[in-house]
Amino acid sequence: MVQAEGVGLTRLDQQGRKAAILADVSFSAAKARITAIVGPSGGGKSSLIRLINRLDDPTAGRILLDGADIAGLDPLLLRRKVAMMLQRPFMFPGTLLHNLQRPLAYRKEPVPNAGSAEVRLTLELARLAPDLLGQDARSLSVGQQQRASLARAVITSPRVLLLDEPTSALDRPTGDLVAAALQDICRQREMAVILVTHDLRLAGRIADDLIYLEAGRIREAGPAAALLSGPASAEFRRFLAEPEENDGNG
Amino acid sequence: MAMDNHGLVNLELSNLLLAFALILLAMALSRFQRLGQARKIGWAALRMVVQLLAIGYLLHLVFSVKTPLLVASILVVMAGFSLQVAGSQAKRRMPGFYRVMGSSILAGCGGVTFFFCTLVVGYSPWYEPRYLIPLFGMILGNSMQGASLAAERLEAEIAERREEIETALCLGATPRQAVETALRNAFSAALIPTLNTMAAMGIVSLPGMMTGQILSGTEPVVAVRYQIAIMCAVSGGVAATAFLLLMQGYRRYFTPAQQLRRGDAS
Repeated sequence: MVQAEGVGLTRLDQQGRKAAILADVSFSAAKARITAIVGPSGGGKSSLIRLINRLDDPTAGRILLDGADIAGLDPLLLRRKVAMMLQRPFMFPGTLLHNLQRPLAYRKEPVPNAGSAEVRLTLELARLAPDLLGQDARSLSVGQQQRASLARAVITSPRVLLLDEPTSALDRPTGDLVAAALQDICRQREMAVILVTHDLRLAGRIADDLIYLEAGRIREAGPAAALLSGPASAEFRRFLAEPEENDGNG
Repeated sequence: MAMDNHGLVNLELSNLLLAFALILLAMALSRFQRLGQARKIGWAALRMVVQLLAIGYLLHLVFSVKTPLLVASILVVMAGFSLQVAGSQAKRRMPGFYRVMGSSILAGCGGVTFFFCTLVVGYSPWYEPRYLIPLFGMILGNSMQGASLAAERLEAEIAERREEIETALCLGATPRQAVETALRNAFSAALIPTLNTMAAMGIVSLPGMMTGQILSGTEPVVAVRYQIAIMCAVSGGVAATAFLLLMQGYRRYFTPAQQLRRGDAS
């Protein structure tokens, strides 16, 4: 469903010199599967997923969605198919229901009310209680906001879901809730889910495929279970032996 | 002190010198308590005298101009000066500042001035400098101030709201939808001085133009009518110029691929 072919990204650093953020990155992510991108901070993980919904554009290579180069797609239509949840959940002013209605309001589509099947199912998937709908979204706990942000991203049933550190800042039980919600969403809605994480436990628990990215290059990629149990590269072995604290700067 | 046939007081040079005693008082107070503003006050007063004398003589010349092209050129020069002042005073300028601000001032102030002069005041010919230049100046000055406030606020709002804007883009919002709150706050910032002036007018303060007209012999009711009309024109000018600036300006923060530009806003 999503394919990256020889993707590169360079940016000017603070001294005005060109710095390579990503180089020759190629991978594919299939529907109804979760692909986790792991690696040390500053390795280009967050920069990579920002390219998939065109929050940024690559400076080399191309990214395909169902075989079509996304550089040729209308960014607005692309983002309506490829939803993304940023690292820190941002709640818009208003209730949780208002937040869930927002993506549909942006599309100028009729917004679902609190009793609609759409809202009920999405809340169920995101493990959120219906009585939270009337609450001010900004007063929810961080874990609830994270799941609200997930619900808001999937309420329009996008084809691809991108997540940047979805469990950072969450304690383990809350992180597990989010992980379970993600798995259900991926399977039931047949989405291709690509998530960036520092959390190897999360990756091991829910990822079907795994990509290990270090210094802007893919060092290893393949089925998650096989890679985590028998890493081939020295870099990945080292990372598995000494995983970083989750500082969230992918 | 001399009175003319209509019982009006003509300010003689000696009266003006006496008025300057008040400036000297301000300087003395500042010096007396070592507040450090004496030189500034003196310099500002001197500049004001030179500028007003110059404009007085210049207006005398300008009002004798009867060619529309020349009058239009004067308006363009005035707009150019206002643009330069706005640009030099802005702490942080939005991308493409001069182009966005220039076209907004030209279309916003120009349109409102044309409507006001031809339909509201309705004098003839439309380019009569005695009306057109002061009215345009008044609308321009206020509109430039409003548009500058809008531009500065938009810049700050977009820098502060990066996360909110990108979240909205990720949920399928257009750039216009993504910056809605920023635009609303910037437009409100542009209108606040005008709305405050309107709210205080007649109770807290008597506007300079109206006071001047009354002192120079115009019937207070006529002066009030002019003042109301001018305030409507100023509000319209500020709103139109700030609106045009914001509608063009927010686009400058996005790439053609509807990405929030990096660095420009942070």
